[in-house]
Amino acid sequence: MTNQRARTSREQWGSRFGFLMAMVGAMVGAGNIWRLPYVTGINGGGGFLLIYLLLLYLIAVPGLMAETLLGRYTNKGVIGSVRQVAGPGGWTGVGIVVLVVNVALMSYYAPILGWILYYVYHSILGTFVQPGFNPLVFWTSYTNATALVIATHTIAVGLVATVLWFGIRDGIERIVRWLFPALLVALIAVAIRSLTLPGALSGVRYLFTPRIEFLVRPATWIGALGQALFSTGLGWGIALTYGSYLREHDDVALGGGLFTALGNTSIGLLALLAVFPAVFAVGLQPTAGSSLTFISLTYVFGQMTGGYFWAIVFYLGFFFAAFTSGLAITEVGVTTLTEETRFDRNTVVVLFSGAIWLLGLPSAYSVDVLNLLDFIFGTWGLPVAALLLMLVVGWKLGRSPGLGLEWVRLVELNRSTDLYVGRWWSVIVQFVIPPVIAVIIVYYVLSNLVSHPTQTVGGVVLIGAIILVSVLGMAVLERPGADEHANGGGQ
Amino acid sequence: MVLPASTIAVLLITMVALWGVGGWALVRSLGDEERKLELLERQETFDTYSPRVLSELREWINSHPDHPRVDDATTAYNDCVDRLTRIEETFYDWDETTVDDLERL
Repeated sequence: MTNQRARTSREQWGSRFGFLMAMVGAMVGAGNIWRLPYVTGINGGGGFLLIYLLLLYLIAVPGLMAETLLGRYTNKGVIGSVRQVAGPGGWTGVGIVVLVVNVALMSYYAPILGWILYYVYHSILGTFVQPGFNPLVFWTSYTNATALVIATHTIAVGLVATVLWFGIRDGIERIVRWLFPALLVALIAVAIRSLTLPGALSGVRYLFTPRIEFLVRPATWIGALGQALFSTGLGWGIALTYGSYLREHDDVALGGGLFTALGNTSIGLLALLAVFPAVFAVGLQPTAGSSLTFISLTYVFGQMTGGYFWAIVFYLGFFFAAFTSGLAITEVGVTTLTEETRFDRNTVVVLFSGAIWLLGLPSAYSVDVLNLLDFIFGTWGLPVAALLLMLVVGWKLGRSPGLGLEWVRLVELNRSTDLYVGRWWSVIVQFVIPPVIAVIIVYYVLSNLVSHPTQTVGGVVLIGAIILVSVLGMAVLERPGADEHANGGGQ
Repeated sequence: MVLPASTIAVLLITMVALWGVGGWALVRSLGDEERKLELLERQETFDTYSPRVLSELREWINSHPDHPRVDDATTAYNDCVDRLTRIEETFYDWDETTVDDLERL
């Protein structure tokens, strides 16, 4: 009865298309546009892609199914969901860790949104195709102009807050229904243009030729695992939050799992085809990483016939991708705080966006701060949050380990499903995904200890402290082990 | 420049595995949603489980009588059976004989 009331009083997605676009739009972010091309490039091209595809199907798809299901099952945000399935107490701290990581992430993602907005503006002005345009000087002078970066950061946060103010259906859903298809069209157009440039096939050859020596390198597999897990947004709390607004008859497995993972990576493939052939055609370094987007590509557009038009299309598409992710990351906090505090949604949107703006100022002020936060929260925070969330799904959703998740699969995951999910799902979610994420975290720690010892130790200590404070804090604040609260949702 | 066969193979595999399957998932998901809404409009409900899942659910209930959530599973099972006996058109691929043979637990 209580749950029925929650279902009817809580906002829901207005359409299946809206939910699907919101999910895939959330997971496609700035990282898909530059990171997949970069990671594919340094890990041997085609062989890496094949491994990545295999792991995407084996791990990311079932993981996303699990996270979306947790949201639909509980109809709550990250803290409420964890509390419902694990009971009040220390475990609720996991929800706080996910929330803190999202806040930290958005604090430096908002300035990046501002950067992209600035590039959209200059693509419209035609700056990148002016004779004598120097991409590096342009980039440096922009990032050194503190007031300008803070201004673009402010506009970015303002845009996110405006959309979220209107809620799930009238805000997020209404905007992603247009932005995501627009992103798709923009990337397809740029990819076609890129592939038809003289010399573009060298880029295709570099990307898709399987180099066998890379297949036997552990680093290739770890890179593919990291990309498959984290570029799909698994464990960020986004799938959980968006899943919590699903209707009772909505499917989880096909839309929340398979389509989200594949749709997200399909955009990554388009980005590969849009970026690499063009980069090769003008003879640039294909493994340039994040600077590829803000420095190298502006040069590419300057060399291209019709570069003015293609630059606008590309940077608009890039902004749409990043903006829909920014909406989702912020919504994780808005949903959770609306449930956990006495404020109404609009008050939370204003306060939370204000906090993000304030916390984003150091990153807007200095790229070094932004890179440090990305190193700490992107490299450590997200994997740790994902591991904790997957432990909640794998081991706390359902009372008895082993049997519990099988109950969830049969009663909840396969209810009204568009795609039958077999027993393999329970095994993967419980016994494969958590250890795999743990291995990746350990590998990251060990490999970064050599190259960045201070930041690595600092990052591990900070994330460890966040976990400790969150778990102990909630253990003290909430009475643990009340059976009537634990495992109480769903039906 | 001519691309090697292995390059073309990886490109095609990637395109099919991502765009092909992803596109299929989108079309299937939207189509199923439309059908669910039609059924809800016409008969106010539809069957919640496929024959395969309901069969697995029955097996699970029978083999886990002491599980703390067995009552919820039984309720979900019986709810689906009740719906199947009430509705004219099913969402999943049920045949009449199977539906007639179903019994509440």
